[in-house]
Amino acid sequence: MKRTVVWGLTWVMVLAGAGLGLADSIKIGLMAPVTGSWASEGEDMKHIVNLLAAELNAKGGLLGQQVEVVLEDDGGDPRTASLAAQRLATQGVKAVIGTYGSSVTEASQSIYDESSILQVANGSTAIRLTEKGLKYFFRTCPRDDEQGRVAAQTIQKMGFKKVAILHDNTSYAKGLADEGNALLKKDGVQIVFFDALTPGERDFTAILTKLKAAKPDVVFFTGYFPELGLILRQKKEMNWPVPFIGGDATNNPDLVKIAGKDAAAGYYFLSPPVPQDLPYEKTKAFLKSYTAKHGAAPGSIWAVLAGDGFLTVTEAIKTTKTTDPTKLAAFLHGGKQKISGLTGEIGFNAKGDRVGEVYRVYRVDAGGNFVLQAK
Amino acid sequence: MEEFFQQLTNGLAVGGIYALIALGYTMVYGVLKLINFAHGDLFTLGAYLGLSLLTSLGLSGRLGPLAGLLLLALLVMGFVALTGALLERAAYRPLRQSPRLSAVVSALGASIFLQNTIMLLYGARIHVYPQDILPKVAIDIGGLSIPLVRILVFVVSLLLMGALYLFIQRTRLGTAIRAAAIDQAAARLMGINVDQVILIVFLIGPGLGGVAGLLVGLYYGQVNFTMGWVYGLKAFTAAILGGIGNIPGAMVGGLILGVIEAMGAAYISVAWKDAIAFMVLIVILIVRPTGILGERVADKI
Amino acid sequence: MGFQQPVTNMTDSKYKIAGFGALILLLAVSPLFLNAYWVDVLNSVGLYALLALSLNVILGDAGLYNMGHAAFFAVGAYAAAYLNTQCGLPILWALPVSGILAGLFGLLLARPVIHLRGDYLLIVTVGVGEIVRIALINNLFGITGGPNGIFGIARPELFGFRIRRPLEFFYLIWGFVAVTVFLFARLKNSRFGRALDCLREDPIAAEGSGINTGRYQLLAFMLGAAWAGMAGCLYATKMTIISPESFSFWESVLIFIIVILGGAGNISGVILGTFLIIGLPELFRGFASARMWVFGLAMMIMMVFRTEGILPHRPRLFKGLDRLLP
Repeated sequence: MKRTVVWGLTWVMVLAGAGLGLADSIKIGLMAPVTGSWASEGEDMKHIVNLLAAELNAKGGLLGQQVEVVLEDDGGDPRTASLAAQRLATQGVKAVIGTYGSSVTEASQSIYDESSILQVANGSTAIRLTEKGLKYFFRTCPRDDEQGRVAAQTIQKMGFKKVAILHDNTSYAKGLADEGNALLKKDGVQIVFFDALTPGERDFTAILTKLKAAKPDVVFFTGYFPELGLILRQKKEMNWPVPFIGGDATNNPDLVKIAGKDAAAGYYFLSPPVPQDLPYEKTKAFLKSYTAKHGAAPGSIWAVLAGDGFLTVTEAIKTTKTTDPTKLAAFLHGGKQKISGLTGEIGFNAKGDRVGEVYRVYRVDAGGNFVLQAK
Repeated sequence: MEEFFQQLTNGLAVGGIYALIALGYTMVYGVLKLINFAHGDLFTLGAYLGLSLLTSLGLSGRLGPLAGLLLLALLVMGFVALTGALLERAAYRPLRQSPRLSAVVSALGASIFLQNTIMLLYGARIHVYPQDILPKVAIDIGGLSIPLVRILVFVVSLLLMGALYLFIQRTRLGTAIRAAAIDQAAARLMGINVDQVILIVFLIGPGLGGVAGLLVGLYYGQVNFTMGWVYGLKAFTAAILGGIGNIPGAMVGGLILGVIEAMGAAYISVAWKDAIAFMVLIVILIVRPTGILGERVADKI
Repeated sequence: MGFQQPVTNMTDSKYKIAGFGALILLLAVSPLFLNAYWVDVLNSVGLYALLALSLNVILGDAGLYNMGHAAFFAVGAYAAAYLNTQCGLPILWALPVSGILAGLFGLLLARPVIHLRGDYLLIVTVGVGEIVRIALINNLFGITGGPNGIFGIARPELFGFRIRRPLEFFYLIWGFVAVTVFLFARLKNSRFGRALDCLREDPIAAEGSGINTGRYQLLAFMLGAAWAGMAGCLYATKMTIISPESFSFWESVLIFIIVILGGAGNISGVILGTFLIIGLPELFRGFASARMWVFGLAMMIMMVFRTEGILPHRPRLFKGLDRLLP
């Protein structure tokens, strides 16, 4: 009896879990971390892409067909991602948007390439992803070396002589820290501290005490906003006034909520423009309808870049009037494309990297707002 | 030298929280010989419940900060204790007579379940406690600057631990718990209602875990649904370090683990901090196979 | 442990063998009518089956609580990746080498701690798992590639044929699983297997019967570690990129869950457990973000209803016993 119940339950779940397919639609895959540590990014990605697809379908869809977004969870982990990629590849998607983490994207790259599926990553900034000569791989986000260059430039322009670098040993943060370290050293800036914190922890007083003893002029933090918010807050409690400058993974309004306005004030970071700062009418209208639907604006720029990935793919299909991935890739690589995205005009170079200057310097003001700094 | 003492206070503050969570592990272990891997997620639940109650009831506004926080702590403690007892009934009691590791796997399942319940209810985004509840003042003691809240959190942890210790050592119920921990069958023969003892243990342990979650939320201000996994593993390590099943051991283990981490970060490497803590743990266990305060139990013969 | 009526008589075991044969045949031909995704899910199941079988020797057979098995998996994977990308060793040659290295690592590690009681050993192995992961992230000796890991690992080549597609990997991985099952089943019925059975049930009686318990426990630990290392080598060549996050504490927990939930000490149970634990989250994909919630719930339910695992380990019965019993 008990066994019957267990197996019955299992089968109900199996059947409920079986995928549903719709005929006569263009399927676009979305690979996003909707579970696991980056679930908040994945949630925003899902909302943005679904909303864009709904808007597109309301206007009549693509090539006379409706667009269907097929979501697969990559769990923020490479093994799950490779299975998600296999699954999308067998469901007849024409292109895939995503994903967030670089190593997660890397685990899926060869699968999409072997199945000739266009992939447009949105948050994977590791340099080597586009250095492999993959024909169908693109990304709407900038690369780490670009950010490292801007960071080193900004730090020197501000006149800091002794720099401490703190990363969190993720692939992304370590890459950016190494990049910044090398560039700054080359220009004769003294690096007085270079170490990593452990993501997911809450107490960083031990690190701050050690940092303080190294007496830096500025701390360059390349990790993510949840840890930075706590660091700024605990730094304030220690009454240590050193300035912090950070990378684009700290660009999230929750940063100010975690740190508190007084502790976050004066913090500098580099980033592509924040969603609310995007000067385009189209974007403003989109964010308005997004806020109306989900109660708050999307948290991070990376999710918005997933929306850009969606726009890239659908515009390419619309212009070329085909879903043949080889033709789409040729169109996107062509350099003549002018796609208007949420973060401005989108274009790609021969490697599949996005062209154009994207990084800006922001400063948090006393009211907790992210203020764009003059170049 | 000043840096050394600063790091020592840093370590003790973190260790106080580890110790508070470790108590829940050690109490359950003492009586049931079960590693309750869901304990970390009960801690998370405490942090989230505290946030919900705080923002929806506005207690500190109505009752004043002190009474408000006290009531809040009691509410959180009650809710999490209830969840813990339910968990015991649903996921652990059916496994009491089965091989020990089966219950461990059930606990791991409960951990995944609780963690994802919280994620589905509250969403995956980080949640933030209101900032103006606790005063942000730092106290200067002999050149060291220690935030007042840190001292408060530490003192509260110590008070709770002390109260628990007295409860276990001095009351009739405490005696029953100790008896059940030593030998359940014999305790039953002495007229102790072992099921009731286990229920009480599953009320107190998770209750303390919930309060620890509330303290972490109040002090650090930021909660997310995966936080229990990190704190749970640390607290479990602390409980083992002190000698699992032993209440003063959990306190000592927690404080020592906190200090080792701070010192490892300060004088060796921040990135290797956790590895250093585990290496010290392994060395201590090689020298003292049942932890710092653990009793040496003779093998059954 | 009371005397149990022996359950096997001739007709029963015949059905059993026929049933097993049918299942194996079904598995062997399944990739021919499954799509690439499901074949890859089966590949994932196969890799975890190897890991779970290797942990089963340590946890199920020898009764040593090991919740850091990902450490040996990692050592094997990184050894294979390093030897292949830096020294140009073909990946199938790296297979035994990664096994030996992981086994030696297991031996070195277990030697001082093997005498620890249950849960103390458990936390030590958890610690070792974490130390290994942290060492990998921090680019130990400059050979692990830090958080990026090692990429560009070659695909295996067999007699000039390059194994690349999921279907081809299926036969490589499951072929290795079949060899493993055969060897481990033989081992269970050997002097070694009997010694482990005895020392798990009662170490003192075992010691008294002249079994060198420490030596057997170490051997079991080394064997399990070595096999996990070889699984790591297969994993590395299948993914072609490995990074520290694939060897987290969670992976160790997952393998641990498989063994206990499937039935510690029972080879069929462990394989069935792998299908459930690795396969179910894939079936639950339809639940989207609730998928792990359902998984946790299913895990609790299964454990509560099958408290000794899905296919529990049956104590060995003396073959002549049925003649003695009425």
